[in-house]
Amino acid sequence: MVEPQFLGRTGIAMDDLLNDFLAETAEILAEAGGAIVAWEADPADRAQLDAIFRLVHTIKGSSGFLALPRVTALSHAAEDALDQVRRGNRPANATLVTGVLGILDRLGDLCTALSQDGVEPAGDDRDVIGALAGDIPEDAPFEVAGVPLRRDDDFSAELQSWRSIRVPLPLLDSVMTGVTDIVLARNEFARMLRESGADLSVIASFDRLSDSIAGMRQSVSQMRMQRIDKLFAPLPRIVRDLAKDMGKKIAFQTSGGEVELDREMMENIRDPLIHIVRNAIDHGIEPLEDRVAAGKDITATISVSARQSGNQIEIEVRDDGRGLSPDALTAKAIASRLLTATEARALAPKDKLDLIFRPGFSTAAKITAVSGRGVGMDIVKANVEKIGGIVELRNEEGRGLAILLRVPMTLTIISGLMVRAAGQYFAIPRGAVREILLENGDTVRIDRLGGGELATVRGEQFPLLRLENILGRQRDEGDDNDDRALVIVRPGQGQSYALSVAAIHDHEELVIKPAAPMIMATGLYAGTTLPDNGRPVLLLDVQGLLATAAIDASEAGRSHDRMAEAEAEAVAARNAVQLLLFRDMNSRVRGVRLPVIERVEEVPASALFESAGRVRAQIGDDIFPVHAAAPPGGEGTLKLLRLYDGRSVLCYPIAEVIDIVRLPDAVQPSAAPGLIAGVVLVGGEPVELIDPFWLMEQYAAGAPAPALRQPLCRLADDHDGWGGNFLAPILRNAGYRVALGDDASDEAPDVLLCLTEEGGSCGHAGDGVPVIRLRTSIAAAGPEDETVYRYDRQALLDALRRQVGGESA
Amino acid sequence: MMDKLYLIARIADTRVALRSRAINSVVTVGTPVEVPAAPPHVAGLFALRSRVFTLIDPHVVIGLPAVPVAPGQRVVVVDVAEHGYALLADEIEDVCFIDAAETRIAGKLLPGWARVADAMIEHRGSSLLVVDPANFITLPALKAA
Repeated sequence: MVEPQFLGRTGIAMDDLLNDFLAETAEILAEAGGAIVAWEADPADRAQLDAIFRLVHTIKGSSGFLALPRVTALSHAAEDALDQVRRGNRPANATLVTGVLGILDRLGDLCTALSQDGVEPAGDDRDVIGALAGDIPEDAPFEVAGVPLRRDDDFSAELQSWRSIRVPLPLLDSVMTGVTDIVLARNEFARMLRESGADLSVIASFDRLSDSIAGMRQSVSQMRMQRIDKLFAPLPRIVRDLAKDMGKKIAFQTSGGEVELDREMMENIRDPLIHIVRNAIDHGIEPLEDRVAAGKDITATISVSARQSGNQIEIEVRDDGRGLSPDALTAKAIASRLLTATEARALAPKDKLDLIFRPGFSTAAKITAVSGRGVGMDIVKANVEKIGGIVELRNEEGRGLAILLRVPMTLTIISGLMVRAAGQYFAIPRGAVREILLENGDTVRIDRLGGGELATVRGEQFPLLRLENILGRQRDEGDDNDDRALVIVRPGQGQSYALSVAAIHDHEELVIKPAAPMIMATGLYAGTTLPDNGRPVLLLDVQGLLATAAIDASEAGRSHDRMAEAEAEAVAARNAVQLLLFRDMNSRVRGVRLPVIERVEEVPASALFESAGRVRAQIGDDIFPVHAAAPPGGEGTLKLLRLYDGRSVLCYPIAEVIDIVRLPDAVQPSAAPGLIAGVVLVGGEPVELIDPFWLMEQYAAGAPAPALRQPLCRLADDHDGWGGNFLAPILRNAGYRVALGDDASDEAPDVLLCLTEEGGSCGHAGDGVPVIRLRTSIAAAGPEDETVYRYDRQALLDALRRQVGGESA
Repeated sequence: MMDKLYLIARIADTRVALRSRAINSVVTVGTPVEVPAAPPHVAGLFALRSRVFTLIDPHVVIGLPAVPVAPGQRVVVVDVAEHGYALLADEIEDVCFIDAAETRIAGKLLPGWARVADAMIEHRGSSLLVVDPANFITLPALKAA
């Protein structure tokens, strides 16, 4: 055993061991944090518990070998506690989970100190170990509502990955560079082979070489790739701790963890991602009472999902909180003097949202300890853009916010658009290109004003830059004017311009290398690349071109046409009917107009029951009819769409909500009225459209539809309580409000029911209030008798309807 | 020994001895790709063994008018600060060891040469300016700054 004080000073072998331990432990801690939170959500998950136990055990084992007594003691305590749970001697509760997390935190601190000093710092860990033992009383168990954070098979796959070797990153980088060079050399060689007219056998063997180089390039790229799971791993822990601190209930979900991303990109988006998640918890999710008031589920949902789209990775952080309020943002921006009121008025709704990206802007009314620490969305945006990514907001005010990070998969290879100008080729990063148009096209109008040029594309105006002019070159005489094209470039948020080029060539995946310093210093170029033809091509710096041309490419207030158009578009979008797509209980994809849906409920299957031949659902204190032949029975929960027609509610059971889309204009109606109103095509797939009219019709009949203003029915002379006990429930069911004779009510009744046959005390009716007299005998006194037999329900209701003017019909 | 190895070439109408330490190779180039708006001594880009090199015209560095690049012209490939450059040479004469010591420059040079030349050296009965190839590349950048 090596004495601790020698550690890290005793030579390279020990340093390597320690570094391996630190790297491995850092990964384990991140994994374990997430795993424990997942397990807390489902303490019955034995496999998860075992996995956590193994992780902690691994740390203990390695630390013992390296003689790190504090680490060993800490991991031993956690392992011990988890073992107690495994043996059933100890319940899995919040105290335990918080205790274990506390230990993991302490381990993390120790590792940080170790990596800096190479020596385990002296200190006392009895506090965290004691907390784990449960000495410190803890408040009521904290409930994390949750969906399992990862699939079990994911987890075992993760454990498998411990069987790996560690390679220093610079070595990996140099292999990557080497392979990139090989690829470029291959391209050049291929070109030379073609030109030399080599014979077929040479070309065939070159092709073989070429294939294996392509394969190798693929593998090397993969070496740098890591599952994005790694990036997501610390998030459940962050969400749990923050939610707990702030007294919010949050279900956290991740998906797409199998998507792979370049390691370096991952480092670059880690902080922005964490910041966005913190923001969502702190600012996005409302306090519990606000959620209740807004009719939302108390448990908020934050989901982080990743997906690959071409050469890009999209990471979306979505919450169902309050969303962003453009007006509140504007007011805030004016208050913090980022903007004048005049400027604010000129902003389109989207630009108002983009205010959160302004430096010095913080959306919270007051700065909180959580996210208001001077790191704003401007930093997030800057960091993402630094690596060639973009940040997008998808806001639904009051219903949630989704922030989308779109980043390239790797740093070095980009998709480029090749254009020609002044007789040579240039590349433009594809990500910055919004649209490509022919300059002579019908949709383009070019105006010269005051020496400048302006392109108007479908009513939208762009400053026009001619690439030859910026580069200080003459147009090539060989260029055909009909080839000239406009590339609408969007170099950053809220900026765009039209770049006129002699011709568009094609798209290529380009390996970008930095150009020589004196070329970069021109500000026009972002690097060089070598396409297959072997002639170097300069990559244009789309932001730098702007700076050189010294034009203002800001979209704000640029064009009234465009603003009017944007307004019109926004109005159209608001007016457009949205369609909720869902999978029904028989796995069919169906849709229903979104406004019909009051909300989506998730209820336990046991909340559905059958009564009087109808399936009903109990939700809270209310009972609603359900469109189903029989209660589903069984365990678990199911989702109900709550259809609301302004008066009554009908529940429609579904398997899951798929999406919300714009309702297509073309609906193929069904032949006969029924549940299905027609069929529409959504994304090329037929979707059955539910007919809410028909549905409601089926269930409205028997339902006591509460009228908007229920007529008031006063019972007079109810001496024996028959009116209150026998009659009033019937009336209430039929949609009347009932006032008993002795209620002191200021409101004039719509109808007066006299329960005595003798005219006597019904005298106070007056004021033209209709009176219905009830008689106790089944037979009428005579043809003039307008009284109603008191057990003739139908006659009574008919009489009421006549008198009140059919208001309750 | 490497310290004594020089590449004798005619650059910008002057015979010089280039210190060989930074020299990568001597190659011929085809038509380079122009770099619009680049400083005047950048004669263009060309690819060699899948690397992109920046072609430097020493005439401009010295203060002479630029010369057009002739296809098949020989260039001296050098690495400076991890970037690849190539110096246009009028003529490449020889690579050889020179035992004589580098001496301080005597006499007055044109301002351009005075900026790039480090010393003089005696070789086969004539005096040559000793130049570090990096001077052709970094100097104009300093001048511009």
